[in-house]
Amino acid sequence: MTRLRLLLRSFGPPFAVLAALVLTIAFAPQLVAAQSGSAASPSISATAFPDAARAAAQSDPVLQAMFAELDRSKAKLKMDGVQAPYYIEYRVTDVDSDSANAIFGALQLDQRSHIRILRVVVRIGDYKQDSYFRGGMGVVDFAPYENDALALREQLWGATDRAYKAAGEAYAAKQSLSKQMTLDATINDFAPAPAIVDVEPLVTLDADGPKWRKAIEDASGLYRKFPEVQSVSATLRFTAMNDYYINTEGTVARGGWSSYTLATIASTQADDGMTLARSPFDMVRDPKELPAPEQFLVEAETALKTLTQLRDAPIVDEEYRGPVLFGSDAGDDVFAELIGANVLGVKPEPGGTARTVGDFASNYKGRVLPDFITVVDDPTVANFEGQSLTGSYKFDDEGVKSVPVTVIDKGTLVNYLIGRAPIRDFPASNGHGRAVPGGPAVPHYGVLYLRSSKAMPLADLKKKLLDMCKDAGKPYGYFVETLGDELSPRLLYRVWVSDGHEELVRGATFDELDTRQLRNDLIATGDKVQVRNREGNVASSVIAPALLFDDLEVKRADSTKDKLPEYAPPPIASGSQ
Amino acid sequence: MTQPIRTFCGIVFAVAVCLSVAANSAGPAASNTAASNTDSLVAAMQKELNRAKTDLAKADPAPYFISYTSYDQNDLQIVASYGALLVSGGGHRRNADVVMRVGSPALDNTHLDNRSSGMTSGLLPLGNDPNAIARVLWELTDREYKRASPVYLKVKTNTAVRSEEEDKSADFSEQKPQDHKDVNLPKFPFDTHSWEDRVRRLSAEFRKYPDVYSSSVVFTISKSEMSYVSTEGSAVAAPATMIRLIVQAETRADDGMDLIRVETYQALTPDQLPAETQIGADIQKMAADLTALRKAPIAEPYDGPALLSGRAAAVFFHEVLGHRLEGHRQRGENEGQTFTKKVNQVVLPEFLSVVDDPTMRQLNGTPLAGWYEFDNEGEPAERADLIEKGVLKDFLTSRTPFKGFEQSNGHGRGQPGLMPTGRQGNLIVTSSKTAPDAELRQKFMEDIKKQGKSYGLYFEDIQGGFTLTMRSLPQAFQVLPVMVWRVYADGRPDELVRGVDIVGTPLAALTHIELTGDKTDVFNGVCGAESGWVPVSAAAPAMLFSEMEVQKRAQSHNRPPILPPPTADAQSGANR
Repeated sequence: MTRLRLLLRSFGPPFAVLAALVLTIAFAPQLVAAQSGSAASPSISATAFPDAARAAAQSDPVLQAMFAELDRSKAKLKMDGVQAPYYIEYRVTDVDSDSANAIFGALQLDQRSHIRILRVVVRIGDYKQDSYFRGGMGVVDFAPYENDALALREQLWGATDRAYKAAGEAYAAKQSLSKQMTLDATINDFAPAPAIVDVEPLVTLDADGPKWRKAIEDASGLYRKFPEVQSVSATLRFTAMNDYYINTEGTVARGGWSSYTLATIASTQADDGMTLARSPFDMVRDPKELPAPEQFLVEAETALKTLTQLRDAPIVDEEYRGPVLFGSDAGDDVFAELIGANVLGVKPEPGGTARTVGDFASNYKGRVLPDFITVVDDPTVANFEGQSLTGSYKFDDEGVKSVPVTVIDKGTLVNYLIGRAPIRDFPASNGHGRAVPGGPAVPHYGVLYLRSSKAMPLADLKKKLLDMCKDAGKPYGYFVETLGDELSPRLLYRVWVSDGHEELVRGATFDELDTRQLRNDLIATGDKVQVRNREGNVASSVIAPALLFDDLEVKRADSTKDKLPEYAPPPIASGSQ
Repeated sequence: MTQPIRTFCGIVFAVAVCLSVAANSAGPAASNTAASNTDSLVAAMQKELNRAKTDLAKADPAPYFISYTSYDQNDLQIVASYGALLVSGGGHRRNADVVMRVGSPALDNTHLDNRSSGMTSGLLPLGNDPNAIARVLWELTDREYKRASPVYLKVKTNTAVRSEEEDKSADFSEQKPQDHKDVNLPKFPFDTHSWEDRVRRLSAEFRKYPDVYSSSVVFTISKSEMSYVSTEGSAVAAPATMIRLIVQAETRADDGMDLIRVETYQALTPDQLPAETQIGADIQKMAADLTALRKAPIAEPYDGPALLSGRAAAVFFHEVLGHRLEGHRQRGENEGQTFTKKVNQVVLPEFLSVVDDPTMRQLNGTPLAGWYEFDNEGEPAERADLIEKGVLKDFLTSRTPFKGFEQSNGHGRGQPGLMPTGRQGNLIVTSSKTAPDAELRQKFMEDIKKQGKSYGLYFEDIQGGFTLTMRSLPQAFQVLPVMVWRVYADGRPDELVRGVDIVGTPLAALTHIELTGDKTDVFNGVCGAESGWVPVSAAAPAMLFSEMEVQKRAQSHNRPPILPPPTADAQSGANR
């Protein structure tokens, strides 16, 4: 039967993370037979917790209750016919969330929630080969959001029991799999990590709810000023998360994280039906860095203005192959998608032979970028040029201390970002095992930035662009200010060689904007950076400059046009409200 | 479409947790502004509907019917386990459904399998800004038109090409427009803190029962004002409230069988719920039942006399009969149509009658969860006399006609976001052949002896069930009992057993009812089917079946928890 079976009614983007949670139902159709196997792993029941860990746990009531249950499980969790666990971890994530959505000047959705999610992982076997496989990859459940030791321990007790039984099943399944196929025995399943003790201050939400609700109403109300814009909405999402983490290796950690996001989403159609959209957003970690409401309104109004300009902009219908300059805002997206996603060390499925996933899976120690670029991920950096970074963290979601990692050194790939699941040539974590609340840790970047030895001011890059076009006999080049989904251009300009003026155009796409282009056709970068806290399941920040490519293809996008509305929108009656 | 339609009506599976809290947890607006809020909302809806009607009349094809329904809902949900809160929150939201029909009532875009093309839903802005409300309605209406019109064109083409359908009824019934305004939502506060305390306390009761491995208390309170306007000239405002308290407890037998007990308390206002002390006593019984179930022997597959308590019989009738009388199931070549051609024929023993009456608020003092004034198509709720003295007379109809039944009887129900279909409300079974409990039991024993069985089965309680109605599958149902006893012919004490489900096929099962008890019991719950979840009730007396079939329930084989629960292990100084 189901445990506390809860249907999460997803209210939209704010709960995309939580809506992805699934409560594991530990039904094991068959009891696990007696285990053979190495008795080489240290018995966790025999080793005592370090004093520092024990002391740290007492400093917080949640850690205290987690510790008590972990202590008991460590000592006594054993069933006949199944090995005792060699590793157990508990994670409790407290999520306090305030979100609201406004459309056409009125609040549409308004939510405040406070929940705690727990996650228990029990591993049997040893660091070389263990049960973290299929159903043995952790049990998730709700935890009380009130500090009640007995209630929390009750939930942890149930989850630990299910996780241990599931681990028994999974271990048997993996062993039978290893008889059917050759698994790479040189790569361990789990990397040991030094225990850390780190109890950071708790974070709480600190933003004026009513003030920002009025601000999103006002921003979405701007539709009255722009009759050519079909839809305008605005959103606020404020989240404070506190993570509590302990494991049987002696790690006791507590850390807080917060993010404050304001976004405006506007969309409309050109007269030919082409859908156009703008969605500027502000995301900060420190609420003091949020723009003033008046400024937020100005940003929204600017976006709406460009949207109306886009409606009138000519369509790109001739093909182009030549220099393209990405402003730092667009460069940030390129960098995140093409670099960030490809420097992760993800353990393949059992029996898989690839080193990892992504475009750089086979490029270890090979050149992936021009040799004037070095790329670093450094989650220890909390602020950059006065902006707080949401991707910054002191320890990751596997209790491993974060460290700076140079992933690409003068164009050569030298490291992958990795958690505690080793891959070929990378036997240890470099502090990049990151998870959504309740989810398993997977490799992900935190604060990604690059250093370039060919950096120059944007004005110089524009001049270089024009010079290259002139030399090639092209009447114009392209400048990308902003990108949309999947690196499609949103604000794209033709820069005319004749007088340098910039002409907004629409309906274009890049043909093959990929890692190969980055490696071969990136010739210079800007000297100023965009600092962007990025939306996504796992928090990250990307700091990137403008990018000049010498040879990129721009062509007409293959988009089917949507039909225009059947009838006009309702006239706006004045004197309302 | 050949996938099975499983209609699962159950209290276990209806735990929906909403993760939102009202910005001020004082609850919804005071009732003296409720009327004006609804008025301005309805006025804005009406105005935009008129404009849509006029402007879309120029489209080709043009819609012949449009309706707007808004559900202005405030709710609160509190979940606790073992003495602490897991969730506490609620909110205010306005769901809007735009229904559009293109073509003509004889044939439109909702024809047969295309029902879902008839609706597009979204969220309306809160507050009273008519411009914002109108603008969102415009967006939804435009989207719905772009959905409905190509489907109508497809339907038109297919109908010409496809072989003659058996049932050539229209796609939309003709009904009188309705004009009704009831904004008198029952006045009760969402007293969040007081309910949090109560739910917390009740959940803490389980600390006394180490045999219970997992437990929870879920409390939901919601108030909703439905506003419906249509291009036929209907304007209906009707309130709905629901209070539900669900207590759930689980354990596991040593052989790995999971055992569950659930108690659901459902009412229309909070004062109709039993006192906390009563619920506490029920919790004690739940725990005792689970302890007893753990030690009970597993039942064997069985076919013989069976006695169902009133509650068990009520659920039985809901699954076996009620779902098969839903209007839309009488039409469409994929449906089993068990009763479609049996109008005016005997389908039950002649001492039984069945009505579905959503206009009843209570039965013998027990509130009925299936009460409503207007259904989700804006039709007034009506009592439907389904079976009179064993003879099938009527179905649960919506505005989707079928042969012989061209009119709605106000049973077009669904949850926001789904096209309404014929659904149950309050299903009430009455009997003219009754006996007091002692006599009923005696007759039961006689049956057991007469059939040469060593025992019969008594079903005291059930947690829900499901039924299959598609033609491609056996017309089976399964009702999930919780407390089942062997009643021995030789007079030894009744013996609790575990691990059975009642199964069978509807036509056969219903004909085996011999005699009923003389008291009516009510089962309140929620029912899920194609048009989503709706609150329902079923009421019936205890029933003696000369024959009932049971099968073993599928079970897991996980062992009980390895370590004792933390209550038993209060060391480590970690308790509060």
